[in-house]
Amino acid sequence: MATDFEPQIVGFLCRWCSYPGADLAGTSRITYPPSLRVIRVPCSGRVDPLFVLKAFQDGADGVMVLGCHPGDCHYVEGNYYTRRRYALMHRLLEYVGLEQERLFVEWISAAEGRRFAETVTAFTAQVRELGPWGREGKDGREGREGREGRKEGGNGGGRRREVS
Amino acid sequence: MIDKIRAKARELLESGQVHCFIGYEEGTRGKVRPAFIYEPQDADRLIWDERCTYNLVTYLHQFQSAPNPRPGGVRETPPPVGILVKPCDSRSLNVLFHEEQVEREGVYVVGLTCQGVKVNGQPQARCQRCAERVPLVYDLVLGGVPKTVGREDYADVVKLEGLSPGERLAFWTKEFDRCIRCYACRQACPACYCFECVAEQLDPPWMGIAIDLPQKQFFHVMRAYHLAGRCSGCNACEEACPMGIPLSLLNRKIAREVEALFGYKAGQDAQTPPPLATFKKEEELSL
Repeated sequence: MATDFEPQIVGFLCRWCSYPGADLAGTSRITYPPSLRVIRVPCSGRVDPLFVLKAFQDGADGVMVLGCHPGDCHYVEGNYYTRRRYALMHRLLEYVGLEQERLFVEWISAAEGRRFAETVTAFTAQVRELGPWGREGKDGREGREGREGRKEGGNGGGRRREVS
Repeated sequence: MIDKIRAKARELLESGQVHCFIGYEEGTRGKVRPAFIYEPQDADRLIWDERCTYNLVTYLHQFQSAPNPRPGGVRETPPPVGILVKPCDSRSLNVLFHEEQVEREGVYVVGLTCQGVKVNGQPQARCQRCAERVPLVYDLVLGGVPKTVGREDYADVVKLEGLSPGERLAFWTKEFDRCIRCYACRQACPACYCFECVAEQLDPPWMGIAIDLPQKQFFHVMRAYHLAGRCSGCNACEEACPMGIPLSLLNRKIAREVEALFGYKAGQDAQTPPPLATFKKEEELSL
């Protein structure tokens, strides 16, 4: 595996726990890898499994879904649904050949800045170990060039939208 | 048996209890096709034998599902329909009843006991796995009590699970690569009734319009996930696929996981809440 490979990770962070947790990591000056692209969502229950599929389709190497601990959801029960959805999603993605280590669902509270940084670091290392997803050496179709090319106004590229 | 079906259809149409009866009729080249009978004298076209593999519940959408009315509007009650169902179709029907796509009062269900159907003279693998020989929901059931009952052991799913992730990816890449994105699987599916499918949504453009591997993977995984806890295993998708993609391997994997994780089987009744629309606070699910 190429040693200079830096994974691109999409992170869906819940607005009430994990996003402030990431903020806390920042204000506490704890470093974590820049591989994570954060998308703020109102609740981990907002993260339609479609988002995860879309991220992998468009070339993400790993996806994180971070939410409040069960019982702490701002909307009382959003993350219970998340838990069920992703328990299933994990098994489905693994079945179609995506290593299960590429999708990571965890509960991180607003007070757990250090744990957030540690989690991201560990996950980045894990994905780096696995190598790029769906590029050279896998199906040979979706090279990095292809992905870079698509950013230039290709299919859905360059389109900015807030998820809310 | 056929005479009983015809007599019942004629009676329902003559009495005005239904405005259309959906069944099977003789098609071309020795095949069977769905029949939509509107006049009592046409009821003699109906047939029933082991070639009748199609899941007719799919056609209920066009009769029974109407968009929700605008606020303040009144939902029009569609005229009632009669339909023939096999045990597998009855599970799909339960799913539609539960999801309030079709009203129970709007459908007269003629259930048929079934020993399994054949496609091109070949017994169907799904029928050997089918544990139900009598429909789960019906107004009238026809046919004798069948002797044999199938058993689902998921042998092919387990075999595929035993491979390494790389091998599985290679397997599915090969299968998905043949997809021509004709959406026959979706059209044949009784549980796929969205007015606007994710596959065709342009805003946001979920899937992309290229007929390329990432889009095909996305489509099939998306569809499999949308059918989680809803697929009744009628296998209409796989039978409709012109490229022979083994979609049942995907759908049955999910059905198996749903049963293992949440103890739920799709279409058994029209009351139990579906697994992804409910939760238990204290449950251990490995993520």
